[in-house]
Amino acid sequence: VVVEDQPDVSAVLSAYNQQGDPTLYEEYYSGLKHFIECSLDCHRAELSQLFYPLFVHMYLELVYNQHESEAKSFFERFHGDQECYYQDDLRVLSSLTKKEHMKGNETMLDFRTSKFVLRISRDSYQLLKRHLQEKQNNQIWNIVQEHLYIDIFDGMPRSKQQIDAMVGSLAGEAKREANKAKVFFGLLKEPEFDVPLDDEDEEGENEEGKPKKKKPKKDSAGSKSKKQDPNAPPQNRIPLPELKDSDKLDKIMNVKEAARRVRLGPDCLPSICFYTFLNAYQGLTAVDITDDSSMIVGGFADSTVRVWSVTPKKLRSVKTAADLSLIDKESDDVLERIMDEKTASELKILYGHSGPVYGTSFSPDRNYLLSCSEDGTVRLWSLQTFTCLVGYKGHNYPVWDTQFSPYGYYFVSGGHDRVARLWATDHYQPLRIFAGHLADVTCTRFHPNSNYIATGSADRTVRLWDVLNGNCVRIFTGHKGPIHSLAFSPNGRFLATGATDGRVLLWDIGHGLMVGELKGHTDTIYALRFSRDGEILASGSMDNTVRLWDAVKAFEDLETDDFTTATGHINLPENSQDLLLGTYMTKSTPVVHLHFTRRNLLLAAGAYSSQ
Amino acid sequence: MEPAKMASPKSAPKDAQVMAQILKDMGITEYEPRVINQMLDGCVPKGYVTTILEDAKIYSSHAKKSSVDADDVRLAIQCRTDQSFTSPPPRDFLLDIARQKNQTPLPLIKPYSGPRLPPDRYCLTAPNYRLKSLQKKVSSSAGRITVPRLSVGAVSSRPSTPTLGTPSAQAVSVSAKVGTPVSLTGQRFTVQIPSSQATVKAATPTTPTVQNVLINPSLIGPKNILITTNMVSSQNTSGDPNPLKRKHEDDDDYDNL
Repeated sequence: VVVEDQPDVSAVLSAYNQQGDPTLYEEYYSGLKHFIECSLDCHRAELSQLFYPLFVHMYLELVYNQHESEAKSFFERFHGDQECYYQDDLRVLSSLTKKEHMKGNETMLDFRTSKFVLRISRDSYQLLKRHLQEKQNNQIWNIVQEHLYIDIFDGMPRSKQQIDAMVGSLAGEAKREANKAKVFFGLLKEPEFDVPLDDEDEEGENEEGKPKKKKPKKDSAGSKSKKQDPNAPPQNRIPLPELKDSDKLDKIMNVKEAARRVRLGPDCLPSICFYTFLNAYQGLTAVDITDDSSMIVGGFADSTVRVWSVTPKKLRSVKTAADLSLIDKESDDVLERIMDEKTASELKILYGHSGPVYGTSFSPDRNYLLSCSEDGTVRLWSLQTFTCLVGYKGHNYPVWDTQFSPYGYYFVSGGHDRVARLWATDHYQPLRIFAGHLADVTCTRFHPNSNYIATGSADRTVRLWDVLNGNCVRIFTGHKGPIHSLAFSPNGRFLATGATDGRVLLWDIGHGLMVGELKGHTDTIYALRFSRDGEILASGSMDNTVRLWDAVKAFEDLETDDFTTATGHINLPENSQDLLLGTYMTKSTPVVHLHFTRRNLLLAAGAYSSQ
Repeated sequence: MEPAKMASPKSAPKDAQVMAQILKDMGITEYEPRVINQMLDGCVPKGYVTTILEDAKIYSSHAKKSSVDADDVRLAIQCRTDQSFTSPPPRDFLLDIARQKNQTPLPLIKPYSGPRLPPDRYCLTAPNYRLKSLQKKVSSSAGRITVPRLSVGAVSSRPSTPTLGTPSAQAVSVSAKVGTPVSLTGQRFTVQIPSSQATVKAATPTTPTVQNVLINPSLIGPKNILITTNMVSSQNTSGDPNPLKRKHEDDDDYDNL
């Protein structure tokens, strides 16, 4: 069980005990700065990590204790020394000049009461400690101990490049022990089906599969190994809904489609079909596509949710109760008969939210749709009656993202209140609350086995949470801006993340390490998706492009003996250019959503913006 | 929409210039021109400031001070922000409730339970309207609803065939195609009205427009006309009243009367 940083309540409540004389803060800081700049090259990069957290903490202490003029001159003197990727934070700080300003800013308050984590090699640390324990540096040593947590590792000091790849978050880096818990990243076993072979028109029969004259083909994906995958969670680790008949039919259809799936690779890139939303006037805020690619939903800034049918088959709602009582329930096409032909249309508009809709998610069985909004609620809509069924209230602040579990029934939401919540459709209150982020939770995704949830936040960290007990089992740092997209690889082992810094970072979940960095995009990455078998990673960005990356190569080149979690990092190769398989420009349409069909055709969506 | 780099300083009013300067200080360089108008309207500095100053005046007079000073203003701001701008809960509170919530094990899922929704009172599936003219629901043929003042024409004459005006559910009139002229003296009607769902079709000239009208001839006389129709609720799929089922076979007999 990983214990989160509990803020020391007494330290928060009591008037902040003065760490030295506030008028001398500038001297403390410049003294340390001088020491670090004069240190040996090999240590300087590591020790320079102290600048930013110390600067922010000391500034906030001055403001909090109402030494306004000292705070101002402190800021003026040293803010230019900080790394470029902290500029957004510094701009926020520059407007925080009075204690009252801090009161409403939960992120800054959280920052003040948490310890910023730095990872430094033992040699560099010894150097620093020796210097700070000299008598005249007592005050700065106190400050360091108060606000910083130094995670020491044995190994070579890191180069500036290595450090730059992994720093950037508001909380510093992750302690190694934060990433040590065992994570069951394997997939759950799928039930076995006998799928009748080949015949295009033959509907999936029941799972016994009347073979007729052909030998039934077993679902190869499910029956790979008879023994339990040690990395997969036990089937009943978390309760999951049982498979209904319609789900089984869907799975059989999935297997059949998989057989006709295109094998992608560097020599065989997917075709991309782009759905452009016209006349959205920058109001398109969320998009989702069903797994079988039959429906697409758009969430808009005018608080509507619009559902379109992608296939020629129109959207119909079920008949009214009176008419339903008239139909023959025993007939074979009862599922067709319950639909009311008079309501057939290509578009259904769902009204109900009172604010822009920031996230949408179809249920895997296509019966329900979720939408989350700035009004603080998550709404569940029926795709059979096209009406709203439930409004889940809990976040009282804008909800930025929501997603159904891959098995249905559960869903996750994350919002401005800095937590993510796990809900079940039949509970009006959340089942789990995932608290720990310092700033808004901007992106939430389920792991393919539904036992874990990844959250990306405006505090520039990505966290992995265990659904069973709500613990944070992984913390990934490295992005320099809020995270807006997350994607798990189909085999469950890896996570890809995209942020406003234009980088895609790749993480090995089992080991808890960053294993790749894909540079190329020049603006926020809003969409990430792995192809159905994990060979290709597609990324879509505000820079109006879709890029395809070679996922197989990105993950296979890793030497397993580099995975020494003793140090907590591996040497990242500079291979973005090699991994980039293609860049596809759109006509001034930022890419908001990506989806691989069951046959590995890539669908993309965005709203045309005439700039 | 073209993003503006900066509002043109010469032609814009002073407020807009101030707003543009604020945006620039906060590091926002690209924005649409109407953002400034929205900000002026929304966070109307004038309105906010006057409200604060008024509050501050009240506080200072309460403290029997001769003029408003900084403390009064500070107090006024604090009270206003507590009212109008709430901020999300602090972290220790969140960690606390998270710990409580996460301790309870995940509930087991009941198999084969149909759509998994919370109890009805937490859902939005109930009808959010009530039909005005309906007093009580009809439960069986014995029960009768008195519909006050359902005008079916003059008392002693044969009822004129009122047309079904708008397909509004409440205004249901019965076109009495009863063969014999019926005196309507002292009639009591029970009418169950179809819901606003369009089961009430637009008035067709010939057939009665009210569906499933049961007029039991044995009950027609100088005394009572018993009319019951289907109550079809568009939203409630549960608990259909008995008349619905009963209508089925009666329809064939009494439709198109």
